[in-house]
Amino acid sequence: MLQRSRFALAALGLIVLATTCVPLLRAQSPELPPGPLQAKVTTACTECHEARIILQQRLGKPAWTKEVDKMIKWGAVVDPSDRDGFIEYLSANFPIDRPPYEAGKTSAQKKKK
Amino acid sequence: MMISRRDFLKNTSAALAAAGAIHPLLSWAADDSVVVPGKDGMIVRSLRFVDLEMPPEYANSFITPVPHFFVRNHMHEPSTLDAADWRLTIGGEVEKPLTLSLADLARLEAHTVTSTLECAGNGRAFQNPHVPGVQWQRGAVGTGRFTGPHLRDVLRRAGVKPAGKHVMFHGLDEVPGKVPPFIRSIPLEKATDADTLIALQMNGAALTKHHGFPARALVPGWVGAASCKWLSEIKVLDKEFAGNFMNPGYRMPNQPIKPGEAVKPEDTHPVTALGVKSIIASPTDGASLKSRSIHIQGAAWAGEADIAHVEISTDGGATWQAAQLGKDQAHYAWRLWSYTWKAPRSGDYTIRSRATDSQGHTQPATAVWNPSGYLYNAIDQVKIHVAA
Repeated sequence: MLQRSRFALAALGLIVLATTCVPLLRAQSPELPPGPLQAKVTTACTECHEARIILQQRLGKPAWTKEVDKMIKWGAVVDPSDRDGFIEYLSANFPIDRPPYEAGKTSAQKKKK
Repeated sequence: MMISRRDFLKNTSAALAAAGAIHPLLSWAADDSVVVPGKDGMIVRSLRFVDLEMPPEYANSFITPVPHFFVRNHMHEPSTLDAADWRLTIGGEVEKPLTLSLADLARLEAHTVTSTLECAGNGRAFQNPHVPGVQWQRGAVGTGRFTGPHLRDVLRRAGVKPAGKHVMFHGLDEVPGKVPPFIRSIPLEKATDADTLIALQMNGAALTKHHGFPARALVPGWVGAASCKWLSEIKVLDKEFAGNFMNPGYRMPNQPIKPGEAVKPEDTHPVTALGVKSIIASPTDGASLKSRSIHIQGAAWAGEADIAHVEISTDGGATWQAAQLGKDQAHYAWRLWSYTWKAPRSGDYTIRSRATDSQGHTQPATAVWNPSGYLYNAIDQVKIHVAA
């Protein structure tokens, strides 16, 4: 019985985590859009900076090509066979004519009671 | 009764699925979840690295409170900063290299300079066509009161050799991957200016971590990138520092170029002083107002020059009326301005602000396009609806 209570408590803890921390974490670090290269771009780029930096860009393919090559030079781990795919993914998802990214705001730090 | 691990996981998955189903009810948790200690109501351009923009409505205060002061980081902030262990080295083309502690700097005569700091890329989001970089709109700018010793006092103690022509700053920010470190230099003439400081305080208190604790350069009137944070090394050089953030970074074409046109490095120059610029703090863009009597206010600055006047247009730029300049002024600081306007009738209006500096430069209708979106200073405008 005690064992079950512990499990129930653990499950409750996970629910609390899921309902509070997961959205909180999502808000802290938004994700890149779905696509065949989503996981690879996320791994390569967010090693150094978060996705927000990418989400706010609106660039044509030549500019994305320069950015990807610059970031590879600066240490982004991109398999050479994925370079063109990265450029395609970023150009397709963050083109010049996409509506602007809506940035959030910081809120006041909650006071300790 | 025992519960198996498999059952536990199964039950937990179901519980989590249920939690997911009720998540929309708890979405308020996401709305106020971006908490950056010491910063309030700031537009989040990035959290890693920290890049926070001041909403334009805060440009209504001569001194920007630290919680509303923009943050521009190229790298990760130093993970550890211990005031007791911190040291500043001064070397290069000097007679006597120095290593100074915070206490050593605090013993030097302190000076206070009130200066507007603006990121070189402020307004980049308005460049057409778009250019890469943090998409700042109006608020990568603020005015602070910075206190600390003159940089020239420290350089004098080290004794700059005749070969010394430029002064390099290096901070403690942490460099990810193979990114070049954020190192920049300024000419000796600006470094030895009476208003260039090693700032230890901002707005009367020790610098906060976001603003460069325990010491930062304060190069007033110049782009914020000149005012290196978390300063740890000063080096006197015989020429401009050669590194990414001096070249190709933070450079402007000598002549305007067309978007997409290549520019040779020798046809560029470093960005230094800020241009003339004004922003409208209120009413805010998109506001719907219930009164036809409208108080328009904002701030205007001009780098190393002074603001001569600010004008307001409410008729698409056909006519301009002089705004009243605020009483508070300091050489490198913005001037607040205001103008009370009575809208003739209800409807949609565009309010524009246009500043002119003491050297006769006026904000242009369209900013000069450049590949990195630096020094955007076009006439500001907000669109409002008057419902009365």
